[in-house]
Amino acid sequence: MNLWTGLLNGAISGATSILLAGLGGAFTYYAGVFNIAMEGMMLMAAFCAVWGSFTFSSWVAGLLLAVVGSLGLALVFILFAVFLDTDEFVTGIALNLFALGATTYLLRQSFGVKGVYAGSDIEPLPALTLPWVAEIPWIGPVMAGHNLIVYGAVVATVASAWLIFRTRFGLRLRAAGYNPASLDSSGVSARRMRVYALLVCGVLCGLAGAFLSLGYVTLFSENMTAGRGWISLAAIILVGGNPWGVALIALLFGLADVAGLLLQSYQIPAQFTAMTPYLATLVALYFYARRASRAIRGRAAGFRDE
Amino acid sequence: MPALIELQEIVKVYPPALLALDHISLRFVEGEIHALVGENGAGKSTLMKVLYGLAHPDRGRVLYQGREIRFASPAAAIAAGIGMVHQEIVLVNEYTVWENIVLGAEPVGWFGQIDRPRARRQVQAIIDRFQFELEPDARVADISVAARQKVEILKLLYREVRVLILDEPTAVLAPQEIPQLFAELRALRDQGHTILFVSHRLEEVLELADRVTVLRRGRAVATLPAAGTTRSELAERMVGRAVLFQSRRVPQPSGEALLTLAGLRAVDGQGRISLHDISLQVHAGELVGVAGVEGNGQLELVHAIVGLLRPNAGRIVVAGTELTAAPILARRRVLAFVAQDRGRMGGSLSASVVENAIMTHHRLNRRLLRWRGWLLDMRAARRFTAELAARFAVSTPALAAPLQTLSGGNQQKVILGRELLLDCPVILLDQPTRGLDVGSIEYVHDQILAMRAAGRALLMVSASLEELFLLADRIVVLHRGSLVADVPVEQTTVEQVGRWMLEGVQGDG
Repeated sequence: MNLWTGLLNGAISGATSILLAGLGGAFTYYAGVFNIAMEGMMLMAAFCAVWGSFTFSSWVAGLLLAVVGSLGLALVFILFAVFLDTDEFVTGIALNLFALGATTYLLRQSFGVKGVYAGSDIEPLPALTLPWVAEIPWIGPVMAGHNLIVYGAVVATVASAWLIFRTRFGLRLRAAGYNPASLDSSGVSARRMRVYALLVCGVLCGLAGAFLSLGYVTLFSENMTAGRGWISLAAIILVGGNPWGVALIALLFGLADVAGLLLQSYQIPAQFTAMTPYLATLVALYFYARRASRAIRGRAAGFRDE
Repeated sequence: MPALIELQEIVKVYPPALLALDHISLRFVEGEIHALVGENGAGKSTLMKVLYGLAHPDRGRVLYQGREIRFASPAAAIAAGIGMVHQEIVLVNEYTVWENIVLGAEPVGWFGQIDRPRARRQVQAIIDRFQFELEPDARVADISVAARQKVEILKLLYREVRVLILDEPTAVLAPQEIPQLFAELRALRDQGHTILFVSHRLEEVLELADRVTVLRRGRAVATLPAAGTTRSELAERMVGRAVLFQSRRVPQPSGEALLTLAGLRAVDGQGRISLHDISLQVHAGELVGVAGVEGNGQLELVHAIVGLLRPNAGRIVVAGTELTAAPILARRRVLAFVAQDRGRMGGSLSASVVENAIMTHHRLNRRLLRWRGWLLDMRAARRFTAELAARFAVSTPALAAPLQTLSGGNQQKVILGRELLLDCPVILLDQPTRGLDVGSIEYVHDQILAMRAAGRALLMVSASLEELFLLADRIVVLHRGSLVADVPVEQTTVEQVGRWMLEGVQGDG
């Protein structure tokens, strides 16, 4: 395996959790929910995955529990932000803080350790060998040998794009975000569409969290999501929610993630290399803002020429 | 003829003590256009809501095709064949015409995938059937307000509605767009649809409707055939007294220029030009009317003068004082301003009548200030408000009552009175009679004309050409942010101004 294959392989691993959370957030973004709780949902899922896999000695149980844990938070979000009309931002912050505190506490309660639990009795997600994938030149070595959720994320990207742009569900979902009054007057409850979007987001963040603690690594550490939920939010805002755009940005962050790891071998302090994805976020935002303001000025200039 | 919809002794009470509908009995016949007219608060909208399932009567029955109905929701009403087009248009701007029409009733194939060819075909078919000129693939954000209204109507026709309720359908249209809407509504009637429409504009009611029902204070006072009924008759039944429709404006020489705009230009956040080198003068004793289809720069012009929007170029001079970059408070010493939105910018609905009446005065009126302006004399404020209420005939339960407990007309009187008592040389009026009933409009017009007679310079934006022709000395027309016409009112006609509004000057040739 040469350096590039290794780099891209690592990028795909690094991108998967951001991609899944980002796709979940894309649904809520289109439904008009300002959802920042991906971080908390993912963290809760990561813990539940390790706990489930450890307790039942089965990665399947871990995966299921991860989805259940994440959905639990999504239901709380639905109860408060959709039905009780509390502020979405405040609700999201509360859920993120709750997830951080709860997982830290549960880690100490269940495993009796502080910081990290990385016992060998956690069953990780098995790597999947798709025979025909490995044989594709160039792409094969990069795509082969990942676990189930990585391939699931690829399928989820295609499915999300299709659902959002091609189906009845998607037309109503986007209408709920663009103009909820119009959707309501068409006889479809905008509120119900928001509930659906948050449930989908819960499931996808559950997968993202399970991937983190049973796929990317096989352990749970406090605050192990380390801002991935926020980066997925940045990705969504950057591309206006489009699933393909989210996938692209997630890959770029995956690359930044690997680049950070590579830099460590050049005796740069780990604290700095760990900053790479976040710096990449800022750089991406900078270029995005530049492009947007240029577009505005361009249009203004066009008018002056008239 | 048998009635399609029959209302029997409908009573609706809004607690604590507002009798909105007082034993109303009415019959709507299949295939007729039936207009409902009445002042604000006469019960028109409540009656429509009862029919549409948005409100439930406390007593009485609604019969539809001979059977008693009681809709739980608008969706149930639509399913039964009764649809309503509201005054404000609620469409998804980001969607195309066909997407908006099918939203909520989409034809789908496998796994809920939208069958686009079929959806477009069905939409094209109803567009053709009712001969609405619409492009199914156009984005709603790109089409005119008139076209959006058609989309709303088609949305109901797509759901096979037989009875259409229209709430002030012409309020958002330019004069030139109205005949086409009326032709389309007549075509719908001729195909067997029943149309109920609510309107303030009596001449339109008489032109379009087959029968007219007049509501006054929750009672149906008369149902008349439109043919042979005059506007004055309708107005008299609505108000309960005779109403004048002729202009009461007396010619008078105008004085020096009090408001001067020179080369005013503004660019909005997206880089679009919203005001294009506007130059305009308003003289003492003169009322200049600003006409234009909504969204052509009226709001920006008003905001630039008041100081809510900083122009990118140009000057604003009021009574010899340069105000181009002045703060709002400095402008308000020489500029009275009646905002178009009573509840948001003109006043605060939850604040008391007193608090609303002293806004701006609380900074400028020495009578209300103590301790060099650090303290407000509330006793003087109440006295001031009582004087205002007496002079402008405000009827209010109490001066301490929130503004929202007053009727629309009385709210406007409080705001108008406050602004006129500022005693400013220039008065800026942004749709001062929007949403008011005939009686209140007449009162506001009288006050405006009195200010003109007192030698003030008035600039008035109005969506009603009739109002402009009634009050203005000169009319200027805004089209896409440019001033395309500036003519004395005697030298033009409603039709010509309407054409300018739609097409700018080029369209006039």
